[in-house]
Amino acid sequence: MGIQFKNVGYAYKGFKKSYDAIKNINLNIESKGEFIAIVGHTGSGKSTLVQHMNALLLPNEGNVIVFGQQLPPKKSEKINYLRQKVGLVFQFPEYQLFEETIIKDIMFGPKNFKETSEHALESAKKAASIVGIDESLYEQSPFRISGGQMRRVAVAGILAMEPEILVLDEPTRGLDPKGRTDLMEIFREIHEKEDKTIILITHDMDLVSEYAKRIIVLSEGKIVFDGKKEDLFAHPDFNSYHLDYPTPLKILKHLEETIGLPFVPKYDFTSLLEYLKEVNHE
Amino acid sequence: MNNITIGQYIPGDSWLHKLDPRIKLLSLVVLLVATFFIPISHELIPLVSMGVIFLGVMALTYSTGIPIRKVLNGLKPIVFLLTFTFVIQVFYVKTGDILASIPMYISLTSVLGIIIFIVFYQWSKKYVRFKIIYFFAAVLMVFVLQAYLPYVPFTSYTLDIHTDGLMRALFIFVRITNVIIMTSLLTFTTMTTDLNFAIEALLRPLKVIKVPVDVMAMMLSLTLRYIPTLLGETEKIMKAQASRGVDFKESKFKEKVVQIISLLIPVFVISFKRAEDLGNAMEVRGYVIGAKRTKIDEYRIGFSDLATLFISFVILAIIIVVKTI
Repeated sequence: MGIQFKNVGYAYKGFKKSYDAIKNINLNIESKGEFIAIVGHTGSGKSTLVQHMNALLLPNEGNVIVFGQQLPPKKSEKINYLRQKVGLVFQFPEYQLFEETIIKDIMFGPKNFKETSEHALESAKKAASIVGIDESLYEQSPFRISGGQMRRVAVAGILAMEPEILVLDEPTRGLDPKGRTDLMEIFREIHEKEDKTIILITHDMDLVSEYAKRIIVLSEGKIVFDGKKEDLFAHPDFNSYHLDYPTPLKILKHLEETIGLPFVPKYDFTSLLEYLKEVNHE
Repeated sequence: MNNITIGQYIPGDSWLHKLDPRIKLLSLVVLLVATFFIPISHELIPLVSMGVIFLGVMALTYSTGIPIRKVLNGLKPIVFLLTFTFVIQVFYVKTGDILASIPMYISLTSVLGIIIFIVFYQWSKKYVRFKIIYFFAAVLMVFVLQAYLPYVPFTSYTLDIHTDGLMRALFIFVRITNVIIMTSLLTFTTMTTDLNFAIEALLRPLKVIKVPVDVMAMMLSLTLRYIPTLLGETEKIMKAQASRGVDFKESKFKEKVVQIISLLIPVFVISFKRAEDLGNAMEVRGYVIGAKRTKIDEYRIGFSDLATLFISFVILAIIIVVKTI
């Protein structure tokens, strides 16, 4: 189960010629327990790739299999239900808010999937509490809260659908550092508590190294790396991916070069600090 | 939605492409006036002059290198109008010699035949390449069926085709075709921005009576500029709402209303935001309403521009002179 890509290609139709956005994609994503980061340059096909995961785009070539449903579907098959199973949060999701009150907006998703009002309200409240939207805000207009809160409401709108896989397209873009870590901690909590697979597109290598377990590197529409993050940062071809090293690794490398501190890869600041303290004591 | 083209501009390198847009627009107006100055009639001179204009328009199309099929496609929206006027003219003009007198029957068989034929037409039209011609043939067929299936008649009438009627019908047909082809030649060879500039330049005299022509032109060009942007935003919102379970394709009417709202409000909010940002950006860069603005590309009217304008006026003059004789 989960999501499988088999030789998938997708081309945007241009005026005269078409432009390959992704090609020859082979990918297998489990429905439980994965935390995947998709990285790559602007225009490398990241957004196109994730839009195949909930059937917003249908492949031109090859097949995508989402929870047993083959895409492109046969003529009579409905695929809308897949969007409940794979929740996709777009870039700047705060623009999709439209209801009169915040709670109504969060309920919009579950209601579309034929949930009863009571059940929708229940899951909306649950989702709101996960993202830290206070009960006193429920009846407020979603256009009268801060940008960071709007984004949380939008994320809650997807969470309320109770998707099995959560796909996030640059969820922290345009947020301040505090808002960024807060939001990422929410995703980590969802991942750890419910063992949900989370797929994350981001440009921020610090987030990648801190949160992701598996990394997929896209370049010009092709997967050039797919594996554990430990393998990626130690990969001999790393420089050819045009990616930046995360800050903790940069610090460690620098320390190795300047004071000869033995290089032990640490992927987030907390463990980096612990390591440094440990070395200091010795 | 990724590759919408605003307007119908087809890139090219012909002399018509290179013509100054102001001159092109002005010449078009002159030629349109000339075309409408030819009186609807079955006499020789108007018919010949209309035919000559038709040939001229065809030659013009050929000289621009735009595929004739594309130009004829411009007729699509008015095919119905063309047929309607043609039929009306043929039926109601009762002067001149009778060309043919055909008894027509509205009978069980002909009505059935027509229904079957229309069904067949609807089914078969997707396989036909020349849809417009096929449509004309289909309309003709409807009358042929009335003439040749007289069995079990309800009522009957006689269709007298007069020479005058046929001539007038043809005349109007060619005139509308001329007008459409001429205007589509303008839009095919001129970019929207140039067209906007031409309209602004030609309306400039209205400034005397305090019409804010330049502001209107700026509004028009900004509107045109923002159509693709807003369509892109709309597409994004559509996808975002589709991810929340909105199914824009298969749902009941009551659900559709909510769905449209879920699309309209975000797009509305975004366009306001964009407008505000744009307004600020323009002001920061020194835009003052009504102040004199320079252009990055200045158009200069050259010899060929003047010659084109001259020829257009000569055509108009000839038609007026011939009409008054």
